[in-house]
Amino acid sequence: MIAVKSIFLLLLIVTGVALGAETGCPQHYLGGAAPDVGNPKLAALAREVCYQAYGLQHSGITRTALWSAEHLTRNHVLESKGLHRRNDFHPDEHIPYNERAELADYARSGFDRGHMTPSGDAFSENAQAETFSLANMVPQAGRLNRGAWEALESVTRDLAIRRGDLYVITGPLFQGISLQRLHGRVLVPTKIWKAIYVPSLNQGGAWIAENTDDAKPRTMSIAALEREVGLNLFPKLDARTKTYLMDMPEAKAYRRNYTRRQHH
Amino acid sequence: MNPFANESETLDIADLTIENRVDHISLFGSLDITRDKIGLAKAKALYSLLGQAINVLESIDLPEKIDLEKGDRIRNPFT
Repeated sequence: MIAVKSIFLLLLIVTGVALGAETGCPQHYLGGAAPDVGNPKLAALAREVCYQAYGLQHSGITRTALWSAEHLTRNHVLESKGLHRRNDFHPDEHIPYNERAELADYARSGFDRGHMTPSGDAFSENAQAETFSLANMVPQAGRLNRGAWEALESVTRDLAIRRGDLYVITGPLFQGISLQRLHGRVLVPTKIWKAIYVPSLNQGGAWIAENTDDAKPRTMSIAALEREVGLNLFPKLDARTKTYLMDMPEAKAYRRNYTRRQHH
Repeated sequence: MNPFANESETLDIADLTIENRVDHISLFGSLDITRDKIGLAKAKALYSLLGQAINVLESIDLPEKIDLEKGDRIRNPFT
């Protein structure tokens, strides 16, 4: 029995890229396969956390999410409408104390606690409360979080309503020779990205933005994003589909509408 | 919400999101205060929050402008 298991494990390791990383919540990922962290430096101190509405990979090096993924359906979005209440940002109890971010790590930093999987997607109060885990956050430039990025989250929900369901993965990117570190603990990403795959179209695409107040998200194929971030985001998706960039919906922020109104 | 007392509390008034921080309170999104009972409830919720915030700010010694703690820079551990 043990021998059989070993052979199976060996097979898993050999074919690991195609199967995706081991996961406790396959329901959140396309074909049940979690994104693969290829870079061994990224994989160190990485832990998966599974919630009702999403799954994430947390890094004990950055004390942020590395990616956060959800299967967003039309029904989930419709059930999330009008779900507004009090929520609490909180440290993630699933992550060991010496690897996770605490609330104080973001204090007076000038950065927002930017949700990776958005709270606005959650289909119940409980599921929404779970999106406020600091393991689902990165330090994000405030105007990006509240403006252009919020607009992307909103058009993604609209797309789920129109197309039935989507697989969405959101995460940070840490590029450059040096990185800003908050309170000696939390690393500030240089970019934020979001990849979507639409099963009913068999098409996908991605957005990526500098983590700055005036950033303008640009679109790219899933394949191009995977190269830039060093992750296999959808291990079950074929290379040709990843290379084709779908017609991405245009995102309009509150801010832009407001500006337009001011001009009249 | 206890303005400036913690980094955890959030509150939504329709599409207006309010987040409590120890150095500021963030308000973002959009809010319509309609000329009806729903509008009055929203206006009162916002008014109450701002009232509490002003109470806190008037009860403490305030700097001209609060300082941020931008942290330090380290070598990128992933490259």
